[in-house]
Amino acid sequence: MATTTLEPQASAYRRSWVIDWLTTVDHKKIGILYIVNSFLFFFAAGILALVIRSELAVPGLQFVDQSTYNQAFTMHGTIMLFLFIIPALSGFGNYIVPLQLGAPDMAFPRINALSFWLLPLGGGLIFSGYLFGGAAAEGWTGYAPLTQQGGVGTDLWIIGLTLVGTASILGAVNFIATIFKMRAPGMTLFRMPIFVWTVLVTAVLILLATPVLAAGLIALFIDRNYGGSFFDPSVGGNPVLWQHIFWFFGHPEVYIVILPAMGVVSEILPVFSRKPLFGYRAFVFATIAIGLLSFSVWAHHMFTTGAVFLPFFSFMTALIAIPTGIKMFNWLATLWRGKLLLNTPMLFALGFLSMFLIGGISGVMLASPPIDFHMQDTYFVVAHLHYVFFGGSVFGVFAATYYWFPKMFGRKLNDRLGKVHFWMHFIGFNLAFFPMHQLGLSGMPRRVSDYSADTGWTILNFASTIGAFLIALSVIPFLINVIATFINGEPAGDDPWEGNTLEWATTSPPPPYNFDTLPPIHSERPLFFLTHGHGHSAERPSDLEETDEDDVERRDGIV
Amino acid sequence: MLIVFLLAGCLLPPEPKTDAGRDVFNLYIIVLVLAAIVFVAVEGFILYAVVRYRRKPGDETLPEQLHGNTTVEIIWTLIPTVIVFILFGFSMVTLAEVEARSEEPGATIQVDGFQWQWRFTYEEGVSETGTLDEPPTLYVPVGEPVRLILSSEDVNHAFFVPEFLIKRDLIRYADDSKDNEIEFTVTEAGTYAGQCAEFCGTSHAEMTFTVEALPRADYDAAIAGIASGETPPPTTAECEVTVEIKADNTQFDIDEFEVPAETAFCIEFENLEAVPHNVSIYDGGTNLFEGAFVNEPGTITYEVPALPAGDYTFICDAHPIDMVGDVTVTE
Repeated sequence: MATTTLEPQASAYRRSWVIDWLTTVDHKKIGILYIVNSFLFFFAAGILALVIRSELAVPGLQFVDQSTYNQAFTMHGTIMLFLFIIPALSGFGNYIVPLQLGAPDMAFPRINALSFWLLPLGGGLIFSGYLFGGAAAEGWTGYAPLTQQGGVGTDLWIIGLTLVGTASILGAVNFIATIFKMRAPGMTLFRMPIFVWTVLVTAVLILLATPVLAAGLIALFIDRNYGGSFFDPSVGGNPVLWQHIFWFFGHPEVYIVILPAMGVVSEILPVFSRKPLFGYRAFVFATIAIGLLSFSVWAHHMFTTGAVFLPFFSFMTALIAIPTGIKMFNWLATLWRGKLLLNTPMLFALGFLSMFLIGGISGVMLASPPIDFHMQDTYFVVAHLHYVFFGGSVFGVFAATYYWFPKMFGRKLNDRLGKVHFWMHFIGFNLAFFPMHQLGLSGMPRRVSDYSADTGWTILNFASTIGAFLIALSVIPFLINVIATFINGEPAGDDPWEGNTLEWATTSPPPPYNFDTLPPIHSERPLFFLTHGHGHSAERPSDLEETDEDDVERRDGIV
Repeated sequence: MLIVFLLAGCLLPPEPKTDAGRDVFNLYIIVLVLAAIVFVAVEGFILYAVVRYRRKPGDETLPEQLHGNTTVEIIWTLIPTVIVFILFGFSMVTLAEVEARSEEPGATIQVDGFQWQWRFTYEEGVSETGTLDEPPTLYVPVGEPVRLILSSEDVNHAFFVPEFLIKRDLIRYADDSKDNEIEFTVTEAGTYAGQCAEFCGTSHAEMTFTVEALPRADYDAAIAGIASGETPPPTTAECEVTVEIKADNTQFDIDEFEVPAETAFCIEFENLEAVPHNVSIYDGGTNLFEGAFVNEPGTITYEVPALPAGDYTFICDAHPIDMVGDVTVTE
């Protein structure tokens, strides 16, 4: 029998770093590409947010006309959701999931590269409307039949979103295959880190929901260009059908955006509390329950259409508060009697808990149809969705950035600058978005470029604008921190945080193949186990042996 | 703290001006109280944990490794479950009240939305169409159920009056029978701002209107005013004294009336024929009050300023010979 010796491909020939990054299929490089790309879109959409807030600071149209304003909020919403939050969390998923599973890469590295490269292409197309007579201006929800009136920008928006959706679907397939087939020996499903669980449920949601959006977008494209009549009532279509299709995707999409951020927080809180996540299994089941329920609540976005059965959708929506409440209690119990280290990633994780709570509460309020009749399409909804997406997901993205930066680049971000960033971000966020609750209650509709001075909305709007600029300024300490850390950051070592999960068992940054050797995996905290066993006073190595064998059998049974 | 919150008027919708709005407001208060309890409890615990369990420098010991506790987890599954069921129960009760429909609404008004204004069409076939420069007024009678039929001529719009705590979409369907309807009873006469709440394109922000809630007589007069092409009279605040005059066959139905001195009063004038009539008051040759003409059968309410004691004449300006009467203003 002949023995073959493999030479690592990477060293076989030399190429420039540009070509290397453009052609890479390494999940870690692709993950970094995702994250960098996402932050670029974050800054672009952030500038659009400043345009919106500047215009609304005081009554009267001062800076932009109505049409420019409408393009600004449409692009802001579309870019923030589809090209910042979702890809940023996918980027962390790409980088971290194979490491946490003890795998050398994603299951399909080339598809992984494809699903990344579709993003700048799709995002570029969406933005390119500005070059062809104006970007899409129908809101990120693109309600029919208003979309019938849009210009070329609307077609570019449709095509761009379809590409971005395709990227998501490909990514989801890749994550599901990786998580089911690439786990290290001993890594049973119930020993997977919570972050992997949330990415798994997210991937399933993407796989089931995003094709529906893609189909809707294609139908819309046919309506606009080839005389279709899906959504246009003037030729017999039904505009409410578009809302059903959009929200059948759009509500699971909310969980696509929030679940991985919940996963990030569920990694960070235990590490910096030095405790396991309280109720790991309950948390997993709650995540699955949220995923399932998310497909039966879409019409709560449509209470005022008069075209949906209110009691059903109201009840199902309210039910989501139960698994979400369980998660909140799990996080709180994880803090209880812990030893909390309040560094920057932990602050962002705690910021997530306290801000997402507000978004969750206002969400339950909106689940009540009579209250929604008043609040729907007002600034209360704008406040609610920003407490979920920004107070939740974006805090999660920054928590992940501070937490995993040392693993990605071998250096720790400066904690003092990080705290400055956190507090500016936290105060700016609340100043920008809390007043919107009251604006909405007083009846200020969303998506208006102006309001009359005698409405009494000026003070709150002005405060909100100051908050928005404070958020924008908070980016400065963040960027300085990143640059300074690259130049002269504190070396991180393999495991700067005394982490629990496998990504901390390799070097920082990891080698292309990720691991030389893997520690034995007996729990969802293999690294903690390595140093502390179960963490109870007496180590009982004999137990470990037994568990190990049991687990191997169980793993064979599961997969 | 909660009471302070509520007293400060923070996080409250406007004082409701309809029956159903009052129900929604009361539901909102219940929900706000529940929300405030959850908010204070959770944020309080987070702050407590941050202060109480902060790691001391140099402390390398492990805290107790708690993985879970089934009893506790069952209890805290029940807490949100109970809250959710309470909320759902109250919501459904209120929903039934908001969606209740009367047999005979006091007025049924067709509301048409289009880019970017409104048209209000009353039962009398009278309609008013707004323009961006001059948004229209929706007249509704106070104290009677008002039904609105909402339809769109183009894209989606939404009818929203914050002080009524109600909103419903105007959607264009290929089949008109699916048009939305809402019903409410305004409890307080007054002027309320309304606005389109569903993004509908370029000038969405300017798609505003005003609701004028009037006592029945004033409402009828306002509709008649629109019908006659006249600007409807400004709302009567309160008419302490109202005189009713009818016109038919080019005759007034009365030839004298008496009102107190130095007191503004109202004349509720009903024209029963398709001949233009009005009511004006003269002191000899001096005009003291000139009422708007009613060209078609209809009613109008004139607000007449206070007059000093004395004897005056009331006349229809179109028929000063046939339609004359005496006004006595007494101390």
